[in-house]
Amino acid sequence: MRSHVKGLIFAGAAVLAFSSGLRARMGQQAGAAKSPAASAPAPAHDLSGVWNMHSSPAQRKFLGSTYTQEGPEMTPWGKAKYDASKPSNGPRSNALKVTDDPVLRSCLPPGTPRIYLQPFPLQFVQTPKEVIILYEYDHTVRHIFVDGRPHPADITPTYMGHSIGEWDGNTLVVDTTGFNDKTWLDRDGHHHTDELHVVERFHRVDRDNLQIDITMEDPKALAKPWIAQLNFQLKPDWDIMELACTDNAAFEDFEK
Amino acid sequence: MKDKRTIFVALLVGLMTLANLAFAHHGTANYETTKTITVKGPVSDFQFINPHVIIILDGKDETGKVQKWQGELTSPNRLTRAGWTKSSIKPGDIVTISGYPTKSGEPEIWIQKVVLASGDELPTGGGN
Repeated sequence: MRSHVKGLIFAGAAVLAFSSGLRARMGQQAGAAKSPAASAPAPAHDLSGVWNMHSSPAQRKFLGSTYTQEGPEMTPWGKAKYDASKPSNGPRSNALKVTDDPVLRSCLPPGTPRIYLQPFPLQFVQTPKEVIILYEYDHTVRHIFVDGRPHPADITPTYMGHSIGEWDGNTLVVDTTGFNDKTWLDRDGHHHTDELHVVERFHRVDRDNLQIDITMEDPKALAKPWIAQLNFQLKPDWDIMELACTDNAAFEDFEK
Repeated sequence: MKDKRTIFVALLVGLMTLANLAFAHHGTANYETTKTITVKGPVSDFQFINPHVIIILDGKDETGKVQKWQGELTSPNRLTRAGWTKSSIKPGDIVTISGYPTKSGEPEIWIQKVVLASGDELPTGGGN
C-alpha cells in the first residue's frame, strides 16, 4: 500500500514537474509575488508559523474568486454546472440573498483548495505524525498525515478531503482525495465531483516566503488538470484569530 | 430616490480602473463600484464584528433631513491587524466615510476610507 501511495505522490510530482514550464510562464505573467527584501534561508522540513497570502497586482485581478486568469478547462458537465451557478464573489457577482455558494449560503466548509481563497491567514503546526493547518477562516482545520500511512481503502467522503504528505527534499508534497461533492473548487462557481484529487507542493522558498503549487484533477469536471500557484508571507507577529461563518447570517439582513 | 441624490454629501464621481480591483468582496452586484460618495456625521453605532465592521452615522442632506447611513468595512480581524480596536470609533464621534454607493439608492456605503474628526485617517485594510 505504501508503494502505491508513493507512486501516487511521485506521479503527482511528475505531472507538476512536466508542467513546470507552464507554471513558469504563468508565474511570469502573474508577476510572481515575493517579499522584496532578502530573507534568511528556509529551515529544513519546517513550515511552522502564521502565513498570509501575498499577491501581485496582476494576481489580484482574479485571486478574489479563483486561482488563474483563464480559469480551468471544463468538461461539458463542469461547464454546465459553472454556467448555472450563482456566485457572490468574482465578476459574476450575485447578492447574498440569491447566491447558491455553499459557503455563503450554508456555512459549509470551503473544501480544498478553496480554503486558500477565503482571504485570511493560516498557521502550520507540526507534530511527528502530522502537519496540521489551522486556517483562520471559520476555524477550518486540515490534518496532513506524514507518518507514511496511505489513504484509507474505503474513504468516507469529507468536505476537506483526506490528506497525506511526504517530504521531497524541502518540499512537502501533499496528496488529498476522499472529497464529497458539496463544495466548490473556488469562489467563482467552478464545480467538482467526489473524484477530485488535489496535490499541493509546499515549498518554503526562504524563511519568509512559502510557495504552494496546486494541481486539481477531476475527470468528470475538469478536461485537464488545473494548476495554480499561491504565495504566502510569514507573519511572525500575527496570531490566528476567531472567525465564525455563522456570523454571516446576521449580516444578510444588513445587505439589501 | 434612485435618480435624486438629495443628500448633503460630496458626491465624487470617480472612474475606478479595474486593473487592481479584485472583486474579492461578496455581493459586489449591489454596489456601484465606479462611483464614490462621502458622508459625514455623528456615529450612532459602531459594530466591530464579523463578517463586516459596521459604522452607522447620521448624515444630513441638503434639505436638512438627517438620514441614517450604514457603512460596511472588512472583517475586524483585518482591521485589528491594521491597528483598529473595538474602541477606535465611539458613538458621538464625527466621522467621514467614503466609498461605493448602492445601485438601489439605499443609504449604504461600502467603505473605502474613514477619516476621524481629528483629520486622521484610519486604514481600511484595502477597502475589501
